[in-house]
Amino acid sequence: MPDNTGEMVPATIPELGRWLAANAKGDRRPVLPVGGRTSLGFGMPADPASVEVATSRLDRVVDYPARDMTVTVEAGCRVSAIQEALKMEGQRLPVDVPLAHRATIGGAVASDAGGPRRFGFGTLRDYVIGIRCATVDGRLFKAGGRVVKNVAGYDLCKLMVGSGGSLAFVTEVTLKLKPLPTSSAMGWACFDSGDTVSDLLGDLSTSRARPVAIELLGPKAARQLTAESRQALPVGPLLLGVAVEGNPVEVEWQVDVLDRELRAGGATDVTWARDADTKKLWSSLTDYQLGGESPVSIRACLRPSRTVDFVVAAIDAGVAVQAHAGNGVIHGHLPDDTIDATTAEEIIGPLRELAAKSGGQLVVERCESGWHDALSIWGPPRGDWPLMTSVKRQFDPDGLLSPGRGIEAAMQQLSDDGMDQQ
Amino acid sequence: MASTQPAPDGTVPVATELLIRFRRLLGDDGVLAAEDELIVYECDGYVVEKKAPDVVLFPTTTEQVSEIVRTCNEFDVPFVPRGAGTSLAGGCLPVGGGVMISLTRMKSILEVNLQDRYAVVQPGLVNLHLTRHLAGTGFHYAPDPSSQGACTIGGNVATNSGGPHTLKYGVTVNHVLGLEVVMPDGQVVEFGGVAEGLAGYDLVGLFVGSEGTFGICTQVTVRLTRDPDAYRTLLGIFETVGDATQAISQIIAAGIVPAALEMMDQGIIEAVEAAYGFGFPLDAAAVVLIEVDGLEVAVDDEAERIIRLCQEQGAREVRRAETEQQRALLWKCRKQAFGAIGRLSPSYCTQDGVVPRTKLPEILEFITDAGERHGVRIVNVFHAGDGNIHPILLFDERDEEQIARVFRASDEILGKCIDLGGSVTGEHGIGVEKLEFMERLFTEDDLDVMASVRMAFNPRGSCSPGKMLPTAGACGMEHIERSHPGKQAAS
Ligand SMILES: Cc1cc2nc3c(=O)[nH]c(=O)nc-3n(C[C@H](O)[C@H](O)[C@H](O)COP(=O)(O)OP(=O)(O)OC[C@H]3O[C@@H](n4cnc5c(N)ncnc54)[C@H](O)[C@@H]3O)c2cc1C
Repeated sequence: MPDNTGEMVPATIPELGRWLAANAKGDRRPVLPVGGRTSLGFGMPADPASVEVATSRLDRVVDYPARDMTVTVEAGCRVSAIQEALKMEGQRLPVDVPLAHRATIGGAVASDAGGPRRFGFGTLRDYVIGIRCATVDGRLFKAGGRVVKNVAGYDLCKLMVGSGGSLAFVTEVTLKLKPLPTSSAMGWACFDSGDTVSDLLGDLSTSRARPVAIELLGPKAARQLTAESRQALPVGPLLLGVAVEGNPVEVEWQVDVLDRELRAGGATDVTWARDADTKKLWSSLTDYQLGGESPVSIRACLRPSRTVDFVVAAIDAGVAVQAHAGNGVIHGHLPDDTIDATTAEEIIGPLRELAAKSGGQLVVERCESGWHDALSIWGPPRGDWPLMTSVKRQFDPDGLLSPGRGIEAAMQQLSDDGMDQQ
Repeated sequence: MASTQPAPDGTVPVATELLIRFRRLLGDDGVLAAEDELIVYECDGYVVEKKAPDVVLFPTTTEQVSEIVRTCNEFDVPFVPRGAGTSLAGGCLPVGGGVMISLTRMKSILEVNLQDRYAVVQPGLVNLHLTRHLAGTGFHYAPDPSSQGACTIGGNVATNSGGPHTLKYGVTVNHVLGLEVVMPDGQVVEFGGVAEGLAGYDLVGLFVGSEGTFGICTQVTVRLTRDPDAYRTLLGIFETVGDATQAISQIIAAGIVPAALEMMDQGIIEAVEAAYGFGFPLDAAAVVLIEVDGLEVAVDDEAERIIRLCQEQGAREVRRAETEQQRALLWKCRKQAFGAIGRLSPSYCTQDGVVPRTKLPEILEFITDAGERHGVRIVNVFHAGDGNIHPILLFDERDEEQIARVFRASDEILGKCIDLGGSVTGEHGIGVEKLEFMERLFTEDDLDVMASVRMAFNPRGSCSPGKMLPTAGACGMEHIERSHPGKQAAS
């Protein structure tokens, strides 16, 4: 039963299934799956009539056969709690999830959460090997399994990662794990010009060292990182960070190599943080994308080699930026004094075009309430959107699950606009 | 061929008019319709079930593929894509007859971009040709199925192929960034692209491994991976299969993820040694091929740890490949092991199951028992580090009674994989071979949801009917039935 806040908090997965089935046959209220509430601002706003269905009580570790290097957990497990359990066995999920102490694994999967280490280790789609979900009409289904290699049936794990809670309720996931490194280091260097950084990034892509993260920050992001981590990072227009992990021998050897390469590439000063000192840096770098008080947060993805151009353009437009530079994934926060959606769109428009020209896309991840309609949240439609809409319709023909929030809503909007014009 | 009447077995032959249309589109050279030529296409690497298509087409452009598909739909004829035909699950079997679309003439490398670490290729490109093309650049395409000398990138995408090195680097789906697909209605759609992390559903990830049932892939953007700084290749020699599998479990449990961890048992060693003369000890019960890679400063240490773990499990000896030639020969022996099986038996059936890695000792014991119980000789060569077994069941195709025993043993082994918490296929796919297992692995609801996803891509069911899901095609395709449903083909 929904409690008096209107929230439904099932204690078990079958209970969730029964409630969804009853809702689909009865009241047919729109349903919004809720995990740790760290990413609910993504996309379009939720229908205010929605019942929030929270996974907070679905928090069991179902099975952790450490020697198989897999773990099966319910969707409501906090990511940090999972990582703690894995650490005891010298293992981890090498994906950075923002606000990991609050975020649930189900929410992380639904929003395809990731951070700096995506350069070295990929993203959640590379680790979810099995999934259990509930459809909006309460059917419980699974795909994949508990073994690391498996091609039986369609890979619905991939479909659910990043589906934004719009296709089905994720109730349980099985993850493939990696060994925990025993040592890590992060080097920071400042640069005056984008061209210098661009050349250096080109060189780093063939370095004998194998960084697991390459981060590029504008001055605003750099200031925040310095303050949060309480580390004396170099100060300059562009701050570049490279991180390595492994055993102490590997790490020291790579620090040596990278230090030389960064200096040869024009860095005047290189600062290294090691082991325990990197902890706060990692979490700040991971959480930065959530954006604090910024009225609008954007995310661009593009060819990695175009990252620096985009970062420079964003800085010039007053945007605070952090780039996962090796991947071409960039987070930006518009200035606090962006007064309205029109002003925001003036800043975003040219960046959106630049992202498109660079083989990618820009989306608005979060904005002030009431600005959604004036901002183009998902940007211009891509060729595969109609198919996404068909997939959504198969799972949720009546649009009861997270209605109006995803790309299918943008498609609907487009076709409505088209009709209006006729 | 010219008749429009249904054939006695109920399949619908391709009409003459259709053939004229195809010849106009592709030229005579792009259309195969003579019975004796079609024989080659009656099966793939899964030889137990056979059915020739009515026609095989060889398009050279995406537009042609699209036009073929539209034409098939116009005439209500099913179609099935085919790469090199090395599928071991009957993925290329033209269930219900119809049109086979061979992608082998679309084999160009369209772009290599090292800066952004991707390559754009056509689906008919042979996997190894991409590897060769990239040699010396410092980058490679990681998925390396043992069949890489023949199989195509399009086939790899459709089956989500693995290979020895996918233990550390991940299977095909982890290395595909974008796809161009001719949808089952003929539309050309692009999924994903050169940038990672595009918003919306991961249709690339969903398409990979869909075994030709979601459309025809006509272009692939693959991710390129840095070559390792250094590697060490080891060969562990064991007195018993149990010792070997224990060693494998110990290595994984110690938190070491080698680049590759492959096992061959005595039966295979014998055949491989006769074929390539590497110098394998013929009296060893099993050998384990182990490759570690990483930084030069770290690989020796990791190799030492592995050697120690092998010794603790009773390895008779652990050899190192001292030269690049030795390493290459070792890998050749492993990857071409299947080719050597001809020395052991006229026919063989390669099974593909998965168990949690700690269950390897148990499943291998079971395989030995199953072989003995059913009087079938079984040899093993497989991706041990992933828990992905490949028992190879030897038989003589002419002896139906033997075939029946092979099926029974296979069934039991795969059933055991399920019981141990594993799967009935790690990389070869469901195809037609393993349809019956789907209901053992999945519930009705699971299968319904999968069927509904297929409806979004392939609502008419005309693209690769009768594959992957045990349900019949979709609406309008009820007339398509397998000419030899399942294993009756052999009995
Ligand atoms: C000796 C041997 C060793 C093998 N080793 C391995 C191994 O190590 N790892 C492994 O994973 N597999 C292995 N296989 C199995 C097989 O090689 C793989 O499944 C391979 O990916 C198939 O590629 P192909 O080009 O031959 O595809 P085909 O056999 O022609 O087709 C396979 C499936 O893909 C579909 N298909 C083909 N092309 C397209 C396309 N362009 N668009 C959509 N669908 C398409 C077909 O309809 C069919 O369902 C091995 C096979 C043999 C014979």
